[in-house]
Amino acid sequence: MRAALAPLIIFGLALSGAAQAEGQAAPAVFKACQSCHSLDPAKAGMAGPHLAALNGRALGSAEGFDYSPAFKAAKAQGLVWDRERLLGYLADPDEIVPGGWMSPPAGLSTADRAALADYLLKQ
Amino acid sequence: MLRRSFLKFGIAGLAAPNLILRSAEATGQTQPGNPFIVTYFEVPEIKGSRDVTDAGDGTIWVCGQRNGVLGRFDPRTSQTKVIPLGDGAAPHGVVRGPDGAAWVTEGGQNAIARIDDRTHKVELFKLPTGRERANLNTPVFDKAGMLWFTGQNGIVGRLDPKSGKMDIFDAPRGAGPYGMTRTPSGEIWFASLAGNYIARINTQSGSFTVVDPPTEGQGARRVWSDSKSRIWVSEWNSGQVSSFDSESGSWKGWKLPGHKPRTYSVYVDDADKVWLTDFALNSIVRFDPLTEEFNSFPSDKPGANVRQMDGRSGEAWGGESGTNRLVRIQTVKPA
Repeated sequence: MRAALAPLIIFGLALSGAAQAEGQAAPAVFKACQSCHSLDPAKAGMAGPHLAALNGRALGSAEGFDYSPAFKAAKAQGLVWDRERLLGYLADPDEIVPGGWMSPPAGLSTADRAALADYLLKQ
Repeated sequence: MLRRSFLKFGIAGLAAPNLILRSAEATGQTQPGNPFIVTYFEVPEIKGSRDVTDAGDGTIWVCGQRNGVLGRFDPRTSQTKVIPLGDGAAPHGVVRGPDGAAWVTEGGQNAIARIDDRTHKVELFKLPTGRERANLNTPVFDKAGMLWFTGQNGIVGRLDPKSGKMDIFDAPRGAGPYGMTRTPSGEIWFASLAGNYIARINTQSGSFTVVDPPTEGQGARRVWSDSKSRIWVSEWNSGQVSSFDSESGSWKGWKLPGHKPRTYSVYVDDADKVWLTDFALNSIVRFDPLTEEFNSFPSDKPGANVRQMDGRSGEAWGGESGTNRLVRIQTVKPA
């Protein structure tokens, strides 16, 4: 019985390790965003808006930030951030919000973007 | 391949931004009293047409950041040669090297790319382990032929093109290094968007001398030297253009016209006229330091987002990253 459970235990430990690695990777990936964005709504003067409480937040709605016309239009349409939209935006911002001011985040793998999206939506 | 080409004309005397004038139709010709000709070139095969530079033979290099290619556009024929840079490529900046090749900050592969100007062969110089996701930005050659570059994730790099040896230095204040320039006297300067400073690099030691612009939190984004080695700075947060005279240590600053300007890029031409882009007004803006007057050239399409400019004698060039076009503004000398 114990021998039969061994593969499951090893598999479980592997999953746990992968989750831990993902958890560690996401903040490292977010470092690449920190030249323009903060998770602190009180931090003013960044080139981009803060990313706190992003899950379900309306596009273009960080208080006090001067958004592009494209994001103002997205807000007027009632668009909100969810996982699918955020993943698309991280892959190609202009595809999701044409004419927005953010450049494509460079050098992120599909896994990086997934980890980053999950991380940001939990903040 | 260019599918169609527009010629548009726009000029404004801009003490007041609401005086922007533009002709209804393209002319491609100068109009009486108007020394500028604006031409738009569609380059749909270059998605996210970003940084540009003169290739030296009449053509223009342009980075396709959204589809991972480098383009070589010929305005005489409207033909574009498309050069794929590799899987996951996302080129940001381009400069013409002393060897005639295009050198690209290839952020997607976290590498410097050399594209041979005759064969178009692509060679990659990857950043070392531990420097992943550097978010590479702008390349510049120093007088000794070393390539310097910025990475927004807090690095400045140096590549010896002959040996391939690369050194990476941690930038002051961490994340933020963005635009970079070389002065006629040979100094290398860069701007830090998140760090709110400009800095001179000691090219021997890799150390930095930080200079803080007088406007706090200004968001120094790009820099360009004029012929007198003054450093011109586009300030994203403040909406200003400023200049730093390193000899006297003095600063000057001017707010761009309009409501809440967003100054993204700066380029200084060979007549020391200063070309800026303002995302708020969706315009290219020319500033004459002698008269302290602005001229604005609003795009004829929304969300043009010109993120960088460069040029050659009598021509200023930019990539409209939001429309997949190139824009050229010719300055016609009086007869």
